[in-house]
Amino acid sequence: MTTPATTFREFLTVLENAGALTEIETPVSWDLEASAITMAANAADERIPVFESVEGNGTAARLVGDPYRGPRGREFDHLARAFDLPRPARLSGPAYYTQLIDRLEEQREPTVVEPETAPCKEVVRTRAAADRDTSTNTSASATGSAKTNAETDANPDANTDANLLEFPWPYIHQQDGGRYATLTTLVAPDPDGEWGRWSRHRAMIHGESRASVLFLAGEQLPNRYYYEYERRDEAMPVALTLGAGPAVTAASEMWIPVGRSEATFAGGLQESRVELVPCETNDLRVPASAELVIEGRILPEERLDEGPFGDYFGYVNGPRRSMPVLAVDAITHRERPYLLFCVEGSGVGYASNSTSSLQVAAAGPDATLGLRAAGYDVAMAAPWPYTERTVWVIATDRPYPGALHELANFIFTTWGMLHIDCFVFVDREVNPLDSRAVVEALALHADPATDFHQFGVERMPKVPLNIYQTPDEKGSAAVGTSKSKTAKAYIDALSDDERPTQTIGDSEKRRRARDLLAEAGVAGVSDVAGVATETDAMGEPHSAIDHETDATRHQHPQHQNR
Amino acid sequence: MTAFRKHLEFLHRTDDCRTLSRPADCSPQVVAAEALRAGGHAIEIEPETGREGAPTVPTTPTVTLASGVYGGIDQSRGQHTTDSRHRQRYPWTRLGIGLGIDQDPAYTDVLESLLALGERRDERDVTYVERAADATAQDLRELGLPTPPDEAWPRFTLGLLSIGTDRGTYWAPIHGTVLDGNTIRARVPAAVAERDLLETGTAVTIALGVPPEALAATHLLAITDRLETPIEDRGVGATVPVIPTAGGVVPSSAEVVVETTVADRQPATQSEKREFWERLGGGTTLTLESTSIFAREEPVVPFTPLGVPLSDDLQLAALSLSATLFDRVNSYWGVAPVDWLLLPAEGRLGLCIVASEILYAGFEWQLANLLFSLSDCFDKVLVVDTEISPRNLGRALGDSWVKAHPSRDWLVSEPDAPSARMPTYGRGGGGGESSREDGGETGARLYVDATWDPRWTDEYIAPRVSFDESYPPELREAVRDSWTEFGFEPESMANVGDESESLE
Repeated sequence: MTTPATTFREFLTVLENAGALTEIETPVSWDLEASAITMAANAADERIPVFESVEGNGTAARLVGDPYRGPRGREFDHLARAFDLPRPARLSGPAYYTQLIDRLEEQREPTVVEPETAPCKEVVRTRAAADRDTSTNTSASATGSAKTNAETDANPDANTDANLLEFPWPYIHQQDGGRYATLTTLVAPDPDGEWGRWSRHRAMIHGESRASVLFLAGEQLPNRYYYEYERRDEAMPVALTLGAGPAVTAASEMWIPVGRSEATFAGGLQESRVELVPCETNDLRVPASAELVIEGRILPEERLDEGPFGDYFGYVNGPRRSMPVLAVDAITHRERPYLLFCVEGSGVGYASNSTSSLQVAAAGPDATLGLRAAGYDVAMAAPWPYTERTVWVIATDRPYPGALHELANFIFTTWGMLHIDCFVFVDREVNPLDSRAVVEALALHADPATDFHQFGVERMPKVPLNIYQTPDEKGSAAVGTSKSKTAKAYIDALSDDERPTQTIGDSEKRRRARDLLAEAGVAGVSDVAGVATETDAMGEPHSAIDHETDATRHQHPQHQNR
Repeated sequence: MTAFRKHLEFLHRTDDCRTLSRPADCSPQVVAAEALRAGGHAIEIEPETGREGAPTVPTTPTVTLASGVYGGIDQSRGQHTTDSRHRQRYPWTRLGIGLGIDQDPAYTDVLESLLALGERRDERDVTYVERAADATAQDLRELGLPTPPDEAWPRFTLGLLSIGTDRGTYWAPIHGTVLDGNTIRARVPAAVAERDLLETGTAVTIALGVPPEALAATHLLAITDRLETPIEDRGVGATVPVIPTAGGVVPSSAEVVVETTVADRQPATQSEKREFWERLGGGTTLTLESTSIFAREEPVVPFTPLGVPLSDDLQLAALSLSATLFDRVNSYWGVAPVDWLLLPAEGRLGLCIVASEILYAGFEWQLANLLFSLSDCFDKVLVVDTEISPRNLGRALGDSWVKAHPSRDWLVSEPDAPSARMPTYGRGGGGGESSREDGGETGARLYVDATWDPRWTDEYIAPRVSFDESYPPELREAVRDSWTEFGFEPESMANVGDESESLE
């Protein structure tokens, strides 16, 4: 690779070149089987499975299980390869964050391409006008308004068989309420910008033309739906895309401020303009290279069941709740599209999945940059290694009394409101991705008498996906937050200059020692470089480590028929 | 009983130890510390033999050094890609092998084996054999013990002190520095010194490279303040064959035996490096003069850098204290509700994790606070459900956040409890080198209840997402059967599912 991967298929090639991919020709079922194999691969830190043949699949679509999962301990590695970051960023978390933040600061406007050149238009399926759910109004005023049926039906190349059930949506856990689209980018109108807003929302498939979408109030797009569109009794035009490339997926995982566009951040990540193409049935623009695009509308005042679902906590949440309805107007896709999916809940403990890796590799750098932009001097902000979202670790100083409270308060009232329960603050010198150092900081530096802080008691909103509230407490609130509130906490695990010895010898001697160890075949030496914040371990050229890192996976001959 | 060199041989045989030559340009302690940070293999550092044709250097080291042989695993990281082709390893695996349990010992088996070494015996059953080490003409410096960076003298660690008396022999941990060819400045448990066993002129013996049973017993007995009983009356006495020396009996297979006399007793100094047992039991400084040195051919001795994360002395202390607490909490209620108890070395004994059946509502409070009563090391206890294996520390640490309600299940006491010893803000000054006796005298205690509330009905209990619980058995079996056909490594499937933790 000499340039960043801009499409999902290029990303698969990156994985293949890294020996991190296995193409499975044996037919598998979307009904639990593909997910079971993926969960096992996640648990074993194995190659990423591409299911070339999926049973009961009228579109010859292929499945990819947790493609954004990175290797354990270096969850950022695959994205670092995809974005063609310098080699230190593959070995060291701090180096990766530095490099990615540089990219995020160099945003690039997207470009619009003609539909004829857009891969996502290789197959265009629109629903016949008579079959569309037109029971509600659709806004025509905001950017992204729906096209008229006459306009879209004029497309002579379009099929009229847009049918969700033609695709092999995986049934992921046997306790789930249905089949799911998980690794999505939802494109929605943006009254403040030209390119629309992107974020990740899962959808539970309910039939040929309907799905329920997990919309939790507190997040930007759901807020817009609940408090603007629905109050006007208008449907919100959307496009649910899958497989739009690593930069698009990463940007969709980020919390981008109002007035900015995920598309421009994605352009920065991939160092080139993201190519967008207009939708068939509304005025939104979607990533042109997407594997699949579901165009439709989120209907007002309509709900469908969503859940139970084996969620990012590592447990199956319940009870089943009601969520807004996505009515499908069109489906466009590439030939033999790849439907990527995440086995949620499998990224807890030691294991990783796409969600946990994207949190580390995309949400973390974005949060770090965002906090700095807000005036907080943060070295790194990253999720706790053993949960996908619930706890974050922030490496920083305490420049004045109350600084940590102020920082936690800022996050809890903004992007950290719904999913994050707690922050652990550690010394600037501690790498939040170094689980040993974080456990040590908690054990040795967080004084129960003075360093564990709560913001009141049960005053904060909470997603109903959690498992520590009873079903009664979670209820079925209309806007997707729990009926009862919860608490938020932060822990001050800064050492106040009492941090115990971490290393001995000077940096040159330590590097020499690691070289000797690597030559002797001692495992994990490259991971030391990966977790260390010290300058000498930020991934300087290190032949022995390079050799070990690449030798961890055998190269498999793969088909080149993407 | 496992001779130390046999222990190393087992580690090599299970692909858990790597050998390198002793570098001339880098201290073995630095190499060992970096290996511990890597959390990978144990290492054996062989004496440099010199380049072919080069004249023999008189100061060529004679001992082979081994580090990470009693722990060496960073469990917080879990098993990595680079590890997955081999069997899984845990912080207790190497000690368990040394204790003769199994190649893949269950955690609680290791704890129980440790406890058995310290058990009182009604009848002595000691095996006396011939000395394995031969007398040498070396002085102490010729052993080639490594000098840590920024220190002036060679240092030995993980040693066994033997003191002979009319009642029997007392063993204790010892470490120290070699000041010259005959003089050692050593650290030994204060409890031994206080019992007048170490008067000036007393003959005592230092043994290096002793069987894991013997070394582990010294750490267990030191941190539980049970050094007052001769080892002949403890389980270890019936386990490890011994030989008499000028001091007391020592393990017959010891690699290096140094007979000494006590030259001086000195007060503890703040600047002395400490092995971890000293943070629990206290140590004192002695000056010893060697009288004889015995070494086996090509002797190999364990060593550990002091004060760094995951060092062997820390791991021995963590396992010994875990074993003691595990035993005690299961000895109070007529039943044994605790499945396992772990003080992760990553937390340097400032955190205790316990997996227990919650016998009734509020039992978790009782359990956590009993643990605070039994040990003053930590002020944080995490209680998890028994469905979590000690092999899955990551899951336990994850559950502390997702299963515990941030306001209801994180419970902090009033700040009027005795201050804990290990945290940096506590009495002992934590993991740092200096003891901070002026630390807070009282503090608060925290326990996190990451268990299901026994009052909850089944419908409130969220099913776990896992390979075993999210898929039907026939599908799991099919995945296992086709694993290699899918292009995955054959060994990696061993890391998947509850079966990989079934030993516990």
